[in-house]
Amino acid sequence: MARSDTLPRDEIPPGTLDLLILKSLARFGELHGYEIANAIQSASEDVLRVEEGSLYPALQRMLVKGWTTAKWSTTAGNRRARYYQLTSAGRKQLAVEISDFERVIGAITRVIKTA
Amino acid sequence: MSWLGESARKIAALFRGWRLSADLEEEMRLHLELRHEEKVRAGMTPEEARRAARRQFGNTTLMKEDSAMVWGWAWLEQFMQDAIYGIRSMLRSRGITAVALISLALGIGANTAIFSLIDALMLRSLPVKNPQELVMFGSGLNNGISDGFPNNELYSYPFFREMQTRNEVFTDVAAASSMLNLVHGTVEGHSAPEAMHIKLVSGSYFPTVGVQPVLGRMLGEEDDRIKDAYPVAVLNYGWWKQSLGGDTNVLGKKLTIGSTVFTVVGVAAPEFFGHQVGESPDMWMPLAMQKEIPPGNDGYADSMAESLHLIARLRPGVSRAQASANVDVLFQQILRGLPNVPLTEENLRKLEVMRVDLQSLATGFSMLRVQFSEPLKILMGVVALVLLIACANIANLLLARSTARVRELATRQALGAKRSRLIRQLLTESLVLALTGGALGVGFAVVANRLLLRMLSGSGETIPLNLPLDLRLLVFALGATVATALLFGVLPALRATRIELTNSLKEGRSPTGMGTQPSLARLLIVSQVAVSLVLLTGAGLFLRTFVNLARVDTGFNREGVLLLHLDPASANYKAGDPRLNAAYEQIESRLRALPGVNAASFSLFTFDEGTWNNDIWVHGYMDGHQNRDVHHNVVSNDYFAAMGIPLLQGRTFEPRDSASSQRVGIISESVARNLFPEGSPIGRHYGSHDAKNADSTEVIGVVKDAKVHSVDERTEYVDYLSRAQVDFFFLNDLAVRYKGDSSAVVSAIRQAIRDVDRNLPISNVTTMEEQVADSMPNQRIIAQLSAFFGMVAVFLSCIGIFGLMSYVVTRRTNEIGIRMALGGNRTGILWLVMREGLLLVVIGIGAGIPLAVVGGRLVSSMLFGVRAVDALSLSAAIALLALVAVLAGYLPARRASLVEPMAALRHE
Repeated sequence: MARSDTLPRDEIPPGTLDLLILKSLARFGELHGYEIANAIQSASEDVLRVEEGSLYPALQRMLVKGWTTAKWSTTAGNRRARYYQLTSAGRKQLAVEISDFERVIGAITRVIKTA
Repeated sequence: MSWLGESARKIAALFRGWRLSADLEEEMRLHLELRHEEKVRAGMTPEEARRAARRQFGNTTLMKEDSAMVWGWAWLEQFMQDAIYGIRSMLRSRGITAVALISLALGIGANTAIFSLIDALMLRSLPVKNPQELVMFGSGLNNGISDGFPNNELYSYPFFREMQTRNEVFTDVAAASSMLNLVHGTVEGHSAPEAMHIKLVSGSYFPTVGVQPVLGRMLGEEDDRIKDAYPVAVLNYGWWKQSLGGDTNVLGKKLTIGSTVFTVVGVAAPEFFGHQVGESPDMWMPLAMQKEIPPGNDGYADSMAESLHLIARLRPGVSRAQASANVDVLFQQILRGLPNVPLTEENLRKLEVMRVDLQSLATGFSMLRVQFSEPLKILMGVVALVLLIACANIANLLLARSTARVRELATRQALGAKRSRLIRQLLTESLVLALTGGALGVGFAVVANRLLLRMLSGSGETIPLNLPLDLRLLVFALGATVATALLFGVLPALRATRIELTNSLKEGRSPTGMGTQPSLARLLIVSQVAVSLVLLTGAGLFLRTFVNLARVDTGFNREGVLLLHLDPASANYKAGDPRLNAAYEQIESRLRALPGVNAASFSLFTFDEGTWNNDIWVHGYMDGHQNRDVHHNVVSNDYFAAMGIPLLQGRTFEPRDSASSQRVGIISESVARNLFPEGSPIGRHYGSHDAKNADSTEVIGVVKDAKVHSVDERTEYVDYLSRAQVDFFFLNDLAVRYKGDSSAVVSAIRQAIRDVDRNLPISNVTTMEEQVADSMPNQRIIAQLSAFFGMVAVFLSCIGIFGLMSYVVTRRTNEIGIRMALGGNRTGILWLVMREGLLLVVIGIGAGIPLAVVGGRLVSSMLFGVRAVDALSLSAAIALLALVAVLAGYLPARRASLVEPMAALRHE
């Protein structure tokens, strides 16, 4: 049995998928879909579980919004893959999403810590 | 502005549609493969790895759809899918589709064609600036030259000038000749004279109406100030293109008409055709030049030569009512102050109560509108009904088809398709059908338009009416199409998707399904039959009207008469020219000598050509109230022989009636009866207007009453004067009674006229029969078109009945087989099926009769010699409808009766 199937993993909080994708792209520059899925999984130390297919509608949405651009290129294993890259609008959006997220998390934390 | 970039990317995506989904598919596939490889490396079997990768990825199809939705084109994609599916199913059932498309094309096309005429005649604004500010004096229905006083329809030039300077409500007033003058002139550089339609207008006409030139200048006040001083012309854009090839060096070009040389000074804007819809002058010339148009005409300074229509532009802020008040006051003042007007007591009495009706000129003025608006409205109703029948038919076809698709739809619903989605799909299919039919219909309309215009124009020149396939028309056609699609699509769609799932899935052909389904279909058939009956009855009424009109005794013999119009003015003859009399005499005697010609005579008018009329005064006559308005025809000696008007008393003109002998006249029988009571009128005297002329003319004969303007008019008074005694310059109608082949006679006549004067233009050749037929275009067109559409309606209903009965037979094949196996005979089966169809037709006819009666009442004003409720038309319609319905029902019924019982029982 593979490890990834045995460990319990959590669904990502709703609305944070964009944030995770944007951050992964910001960190690694250029990624294709499979790499993004792996990046999120490993960065969260295998805690966060993404339904991998749902990456793709999200990626399309980002293309429409102009946060990312995409181009076809070859992988190390010499296969054709579509690589996504942040635009400057995408970088701005990432900043917005991070500050939004921190505000919410901060608020939730304060609620929890209030004895 | 981020939405801007977003929309741009979305639109770009639309055009890369297939590429987009191919990309998506490829990257998802890669993702799955990589994951699969990873799992295999981690020690899974390939099968386990594949399943795990899929599980981790989720539902691929859903993801794909979600991704596509992001771009916002999902609805379009679905629509395209549905449309393509619709096209495929259309192609599968070609027969049904062809019938549906033909009926749609006919229905939508006919509606579009009639609408385009209505639009052109009644709805479209004049192509000038602020047309809603323009008004016209009087109804505009009268045209010609009148010397009647007072007159609030036609105005003299001096009156126009007074009105122009004294009014306080218009920015300007313009005058235009009420006639379009046809003359023959020679264009500089052209070898032969050609026909030109000329409109005389005041210098203020173009500034008032507001038209710009594309070349040179328009006419201005300075062109119209001094009589005969400025022979200038502005060309119609269309004529410039057509006759001069759009020559840009046209300014300064010379046109010779009669003895005057005109100079072209400008070309009007392309869209401008004048203020009268359905009339398109070739050029405009100043009224100050009217002495030359046609040569010999002269009313510039004559306050009793009333030939003008007046047009004015309201000052900003002035209402039509305010303007009317001012005009009414001025009308009284000006007419009383003009020189040489007959201010008799009787005339003053008439003047006192006379008002000027100011009508809006926003959509232009049109004789055609007055003439054709009623028939066009009727035709619009007719074609709308035809479209309804077509809709009912298609709804029926779709119903039948959706019954065949019950299983498909049930399966899809069982698999989770929403009902709304299925309805949308069925409606899309209807829309595809309707749009295809609509496109065909627009094509059909373009052809039908030309045909209609030809029909409206009669045997003469085609009416110059612009019927472009413009946006309004396309919007109308699209509207009609969508409405049609909804009309025939909604019911079947609702019906088809309201399904008891389990039942439909279980049974291929359930008797329960049949009971409800065709009840709607039956209702549709009944209404089709009812509407068809209305249309057929209407067609019968109009046909009878037309036949009645054609049978009316016109007073002359319309068969075997050729009519020609000469244009002596353009050949340089002057008023009172003795050469012209000589030429006419020569022409008449040469024609008489031709084989096949019995008589030939010039006259002022024949029938439906406009007349010269005024009151007569009979010697000894006193009463001042009776109608004494008489049309004066001026004719040659052979006129009565040429026209076939019987002489009742006395004699016709003879050579002894000359310029130097006693002036003599021949009167029609109603003039003799009503204005010459007590004894024979022969030998008695009369004259024009009043007592002082009462002895001028001696009556020498009485002839039968003849129609003057139209076949259905009440009897008009006519008297005939001798051409030898009355010099009337505009006399140029030539009537020739002939036998045998008309074309041979026509060319012989042309040659004879050429032999007398080779420069004398012949502008129009027709027959009296055509002339009479052309005088009632409405009745002819309505009769023809309503008969045509009536037949279309019957044909469509037949298809409907045939389709339904065939369907019923197919559904009941089992039952029929059982009946036959149990000993039912073929006649019984035949009757069983026929009875069902006939019942529908009988109910339809029953429902149609009251509707037909109402319809007849609605059009009663268009009927002649036939009552709105006409038993003959109604019974003929019923008989025809019943006959074709029986035929349409017989074929399927026969098929049913020929069913082999064993085959039928196995047939499932």
